[in-house]
Amino acid sequence: MPYREKTARLSLIAMALAFGPYFVIVASGRFRSGGLPDLRQLGLYAVAATVQVLMLCAGHFFLRRWSPEDAQTPPDERDLAIMRRSVSFAYYVLIAGMIVVGCVMPFVTSGWAIINAAFLMIVAAEVVHYGVVVLSYRRQA
Amino acid sequence: MTAGAIANRIRALRFHHGEMSQAELGQRVGVTRQTIAAIEAGKYSPSLEAAFRIADVFKVPLGEVFEWHSKEKAPL
Repeated sequence: MPYREKTARLSLIAMALAFGPYFVIVASGRFRSGGLPDLRQLGLYAVAATVQVLMLCAGHFFLRRWSPEDAQTPPDERDLAIMRRSVSFAYYVLIAGMIVVGCVMPFVTSGWAIINAAFLMIVAAEVVHYGVVVLSYRRQA
Repeated sequence: MTAGAIANRIRALRFHHGEMSQAELGQRVGVTRQTIAAIEAGKYSPSLEAAFRIADVFKVPLGEVFEWHSKEKAPL
C-alpha cells in the first residue's frame, strides 16, 4: 500500500474516532446552551481536537518508523495528481458548507449551532479529501 | 473527439531487460513502484516527460512503449 494512502487512511480513522463521538454528543443535545462562550462546549471541542492531534502524531510516528524510505520519498506526478483531484472535490464540499453556514444559518440560528455546523462542514470536506485519496489509490487511478 | 485508450508494452519491455522490477524502473524514471504498476495496468496515463523517461530507460522510441488505440465508431 502506498505511504500516502496509509496516511490518508490514518487521517480518516483519527477524524472518525475524534469527531464522530463529538458530533454524536453535540447532536444528543447534552451540551445545548444559549450563549457564548460556552466553556463546556469549548472543552468538548478541545478534547476532540487533542485526541485527533495525538492520534495523528502517534500514527505518523509509527508509519515513519515502519517504512522510513517510503516516508522520505517525495510525491511523484501521480501522487500530485491524486492530491489535486482530492483537494478540488473537497473544495466544493467546503464551499457549499460555508455558504450554508455563513449565509443561511445566521438567519435561523446562532451561537454554537453555527460553530458546530462549520466544524461539521470542515470535517466533511476533510473526509471527502482523504476519501478521494484512498479511493484513487485503490483504483490505481 | 475520438474515443480510445493508451496501451503500453512496459511489462514486455521489462521482461526483455532482464526481468527489470517495477521498483527499479520506477527508481530510474523518478516515480514510485505503485505508479509504474498503475501505468502498466493502464489505470494511469503518465505525463509526457515520464513517458519519454520510460522509453529512455529501455532505449526505444516512445511509440514502442505507448500506443494509442482508437475506438472508431462504425459508419452508419
